[in-house]
Amino acid sequence: MRRLDLALGALLAVFAAIFPLLVNAYWLHVMIIGMMFAIMAASWSLLAGYAGQFSFGHMGFVAVGGYTAALLATDLGLPLPLGMLAGVIASALLGGVIGWTCLRMSGPYLAIFTMAFSEVLRIIIVTEVEVTGGAGGMTVPQLFHAPTDFPYYYLILALLIVSVGGMMLVVASRWGLFFRAIRENEQAAAAAGVKVTRFRIIAFAIASSLAGLAGTFYAPYIGILTPDVASQDQMGLVVAMAIVGGMESLPGAVAGAIAVEFLVEALRSYGQWRLVLFGALLLFTMRFARNGLLAPGWFRLRGLVAPRAAGLGPEAAD
Amino acid sequence: MLDYILIQAANGLVIGVLFALIATGLTIIFSILKIVNFAHGEIYMVGGYFGYYVITLLGVPPFPAVFVAMALTFLFSIGIERGLLTPLYSPSIERKADYGILITFGLSVFLRNIAIIIFGPFPLRPPSFLEGNLVIGGLIVSDDRLVAAGGGILLLAGLIYFLNRTVWGQALNAVSQSRESASIVGINSERMYMLAFGVGGALAGGAGALIAPIYSLSPSMGLVPDTQAFVIVILGGLGSVSGTIIAALVLGLSENLFIALLPDPSRGPSYANAFGLFIMMLVLLFRPTGIFGRQHVAMD
Amino acid sequence: MSAAPPLIEAIRLAKHFGGIFAVDHLDFAVHEGELVGLIGPNGSGKTTTINLLTGHLRLDGGGVRVRGHAVGGLPASGFAGLGVGRTFQITQLFSRMSVLENMLVPGLARPRAHREAVVREARRHLEFLGLAALENLAAKNLSGGQQKLLELGRALMLEPKILFLDEPFAGVNPYLRDEIIRFVQTLHADGRTFVIVDHDLDAIQRLVHRLVVMSRGKKIADGPLAAVRENQDVIKAYSGT
Repeated sequence: MRRLDLALGALLAVFAAIFPLLVNAYWLHVMIIGMMFAIMAASWSLLAGYAGQFSFGHMGFVAVGGYTAALLATDLGLPLPLGMLAGVIASALLGGVIGWTCLRMSGPYLAIFTMAFSEVLRIIIVTEVEVTGGAGGMTVPQLFHAPTDFPYYYLILALLIVSVGGMMLVVASRWGLFFRAIRENEQAAAAAGVKVTRFRIIAFAIASSLAGLAGTFYAPYIGILTPDVASQDQMGLVVAMAIVGGMESLPGAVAGAIAVEFLVEALRSYGQWRLVLFGALLLFTMRFARNGLLAPGWFRLRGLVAPRAAGLGPEAAD
Repeated sequence: MLDYILIQAANGLVIGVLFALIATGLTIIFSILKIVNFAHGEIYMVGGYFGYYVITLLGVPPFPAVFVAMALTFLFSIGIERGLLTPLYSPSIERKADYGILITFGLSVFLRNIAIIIFGPFPLRPPSFLEGNLVIGGLIVSDDRLVAAGGGILLLAGLIYFLNRTVWGQALNAVSQSRESASIVGINSERMYMLAFGVGGALAGGAGALIAPIYSLSPSMGLVPDTQAFVIVILGGLGSVSGTIIAALVLGLSENLFIALLPDPSRGPSYANAFGLFIMMLVLLFRPTGIFGRQHVAMD
Repeated sequence: MSAAPPLIEAIRLAKHFGGIFAVDHLDFAVHEGELVGLIGPNGSGKTTTINLLTGHLRLDGGGVRVRGHAVGGLPASGFAGLGVGRTFQITQLFSRMSVLENMLVPGLARPRAHREAVVREARRHLEFLGLAALENLAAKNLSGGQQKLLELGRALMLEPKILFLDEPFAGVNPYLRDEIIRFVQTLHADGRTFVIVDHDLDAIQRLVHRLVVMSRGKKIADGPLAAVRENQDVIKAYSGT
């Protein structure tokens, strides 16, 4: 199996590297958006799926990252990369604070609280028109001045690899074990010596910093930042991506995000119907395929392919 | 100035009554099914549209249309319960609380989007219940608002009677306290879940139909009541009908007074919603189960 | 009796719910190497006492000392870190994690724990408890008795000095009951201290040297097994007069 994994990985790497050359500008844009959502979906999946903290405030952190970077760049003239770093730090800190305030809340209370947090943030952004441009949004300077989106593509690819790779390392480590223990049974986790407080805050901080990261990319890439980024509809989109991809699979969330984004774009001609479609898809997946569609589908596919892989060499025997 | 405050207070009370309807529905659903219905605001929206179409397509007069809309919303809610919520009752599904959260959240997104297609994105306004205004000195309240508040109070009174005096209502009460004991006494829990979700949805739908002539209908009108309803049930206590009603009135009143008293008129209305949310966040911080709430029992 | 401070000590411990004292100013000390039974009619406050002594409930009055040091506000994870282990009345496992993973959680939560060493230790404990073959099974797929043993194993991974067992014999078949008694005896002989709460007086009497009896939040008897058995107050408490 390892030979097959390595081969697939290499293929994927090559494909990712030359992707911009394979498609036109429109689909490149779609892929970039998809990868950006992938970071949001995967980080939400880490918080909700792995650590069991169902936060509906995730998009609030995307907004924090984006607006921090944008405001520092436009109002203070800070170079954008510095603003982006500040955005990530701001989201991480705020995420830790929210995680700390939610410590005594569980399940639906946590969901309601985080949803409220996101809404309050959105309302503040909409109302403080002089600072943020209100509902109309604010323009954000560009990061690159190239004729194509290639630099953006490679940047988001790098960010995606670093963030998802980082999260996968965390999940495979003892921290991942602690997150899952907290999700399974918080009381037992505490009795087992897991510092529940610390790890819930850590989970929030990691997830929100990555959401903020996605936000700091979003702002200069799109060029305009509106409070809608923190809306519940956007949250629903990210949740759908994570669920379709598979709630406990980080690569699944990535695949789900890219797949849903491409689906949404491919069906653009259907107008409003495509949003209905993906809403129905979300409901269908939740109702009948709780472990997602993509991750379990992938494992089944591998199971089918494995017998053939046995012929590739002695080490494929596992 | 005093007149302005009085008007705002009166409006606040009207809103409070309607919030009470919505939030009580949410609290009943939580008591029986042990889930927080994140799609509650959308059911409210659907009820409002049912009312509109019943008036315009079937020619039913506005006030009776509210009750027809409630009946339709009742059936609609039961349909949702049968279609999406039955996994909550089967022993083989894990993490029921998570499922409840995600499926109702997904439902809310779905309903919002399909409403845009079916009803169109532009606001619709059904005809008034009663044209005209009530004028007492400097206090002016539209008759529509009076009818809405009156209808709301009627429905709430009916609900309280239903819960305390009828067999079905008492059965619901029993199930909310202990599912096992209720089934031992012969109460069919599945029917109770259907009833609870149906009644909860019908209350929200009724509120939607009552409020429609005043504020108009739009597919996204469920978003604000969604979050407001949460504020109310958290303040009043998830699972406590009386606490919810009181909290709703207090919230409606205080939010409108907040607008009236805030010096900056451009920011007032926006921040009114944030104010409620902020209060809720504070409450959750210090009392994670709400002010009057009982410890909520997990579904499994 | 050694002059060392008790391993764990409750000093005028109090906890009330509503207006009622579930634990009413309890004084209770356990020294290293003891095997103590904590019994009493239902509602006497036994489980609440354990919860207070392991950080799962906040004290309303009094204090807890571990080896002489006050540990009042420590959370449950803190007590676990001090070597205070416990099992629960209703087994609390990490249902969707494997048996081995259930054991690894407390093992890796210890400071300076190395994975290979922890895995070896976990396997050793699983072997001792007879669960070795089930290593990769999800915890929820174990039988009730196996789950109880896994919970014990998980507590052992803390390298506990003292173990509070909350109703280990509840609903357990006679064969498993004897197994649990043997395990406890072996572990005790290895130097671990035990406090066992249960209603199975037969099993308790086979195990413990000292018996503490609670009734309505207060301690009504505390001493060697034989003496307590004869105690009139105890008999009265159980017969409900």
